[in-house]
Amino acid sequence: MTIDIPFIWTALREIIKALPITLMLTLIPLCAGFLLGLILAIIRIYKVKILAPFVEMYVSFLRGTPIIMHVMLIYFGLPLLIDKVVKEMDMNVQTNAIPVSLFVLFALSLSAGAYLSETIRSGIVSLPKGQVEAAYATGMTTFQVMRRIVLPQAFAGSIPNFTNVFVGFLHTSSIAFIVSQKEITGAANIVASTNLKFLEAFIAAGMIYWGLTILIEVLSSWIEKRVYSYAKGGIR
Amino acid sequence: MIKLAEIKKSFGDQEILKDISLNVERGKVVAILGPSGSGKTTLLRCLNYLEKPDEGTVSVGEISLDAHSVRKKEIIAIRRQSAMVFQHYNLFSHKTVLQNVMEGLVVVHKMKKSIAREQSKKMLAKVGLEDKLHHYPSQLSGGQQQRVGIARALALNPKVILFDEPTSALDPELVGEVLSVIKEIAKEGITMIIVTHEMTFAREVADYVLFMDEGIIVEEGVPEQIFYNPKEERTKRFLKRLEGDDYDNQNHAGKGVHQHAL
Repeated sequence: MTIDIPFIWTALREIIKALPITLMLTLIPLCAGFLLGLILAIIRIYKVKILAPFVEMYVSFLRGTPIIMHVMLIYFGLPLLIDKVVKEMDMNVQTNAIPVSLFVLFALSLSAGAYLSETIRSGIVSLPKGQVEAAYATGMTTFQVMRRIVLPQAFAGSIPNFTNVFVGFLHTSSIAFIVSQKEITGAANIVASTNLKFLEAFIAAGMIYWGLTILIEVLSSWIEKRVYSYAKGGIR
Repeated sequence: MIKLAEIKKSFGDQEILKDISLNVERGKVVAILGPSGSGKTTLLRCLNYLEKPDEGTVSVGEISLDAHSVRKKEIIAIRRQSAMVFQHYNLFSHKTVLQNVMEGLVVVHKMKKSIAREQSKKMLAKVGLEDKLHHYPSQLSGGQQQRVGIARALALNPKVILFDEPTSALDPELVGEVLSVIKEIAKEGITMIIVTHEMTFAREVADYVLFMDEGIIVEEGVPEQIFYNPKEERTKRFLKRLEGDDYDNQNHAGKGVHQHAL
């Protein structure tokens, strides 16, 4: 078998058209997961009655199973559930009409929520307790302490971990290909099988992922530098 | 103005405070002395409910809380009557010196930012840090950080300032600058309760001294009485032991009393 190096470039130009879908499948779950993760982290830290054990189980299950499983469970399971609810409530919704990408986005958001909740929680827990006490001592409410003192520092301290999750979910978005989403991996597969040049197509896809990852890392270290000025002794 | 009545507090099965009652009048400076583990820091932290007493009543200003029937709102209300200076400074590390002092004024007391800024600058000038307004805590020495902590407490214009071993975490050569700032503000007639190991300082600055041991107030009185004419055996023993151990700190508090070789 020979390798057709010029074709890598041809494939790359074709595959990169799928970039918006990959970005959508990465960014939307991360944003939704961030909000979900924040709520989950706070529930666990404050040991909210009744909810806390459920959250713990949720995080444990989702982090303890492959993300591809979540996509499968949602993709095959959720329509059954919706059908049942629709029947009970006598509504007019066709599960067949729901785009597949929505199921994928939903599943990835649930996974991202579980992972990010741990990232956020570790950021909160690592904050020196004394600062929290000092904030309470001035008479702040729990909400004010969270918003003014805890979360800004927890988020700043978690930037490297957020970057990890970001990169992880960029690559995870490729499993959407299994349910026929035409994101980068899906597009590579199509280019590969129509031209019967598999190696070239997947090298091209790999280069796109790698390039994106480098971009994310550069962005992250730039943000880190700006945010950490207080810790490194710089003056803003 | 500040009143503790029959305060009890345990951690697990260890009784830290056994029935403490205390009255502090407006404008007085009270020093709490005692060996480590005697409950003096816990007592101080019960005053602003950073520690919730198991039993007893805490009154600061017009607010009075009974340990058996406290609500969150009341805890916040009583905390707003006081301010605290911590052993480890506990400055907000993501905020500049000026922002640290302004934070409580803007967030808790809903003061306009411009007014809060002016008031904070005034307080920072008082502790000699007017040239460090835009520095972050990590850029300051321990002594400077603690002075920011004091400015942060002063700015809130509290009914009482609670000092929790304000110089215990400092390098010996930095103790003096912090103590002299506290002495200055003591002259202004602000009510203060100070947990300290600095005997010379306590003698000079306090109007009233409490000696605590094993969760009770063993002896209390004016400094002259406690330091020069203690009645209780435990107080005598404590002071005697401290003369030996604490010479280093005493020297930095101003008047060195002993010169021991290491």
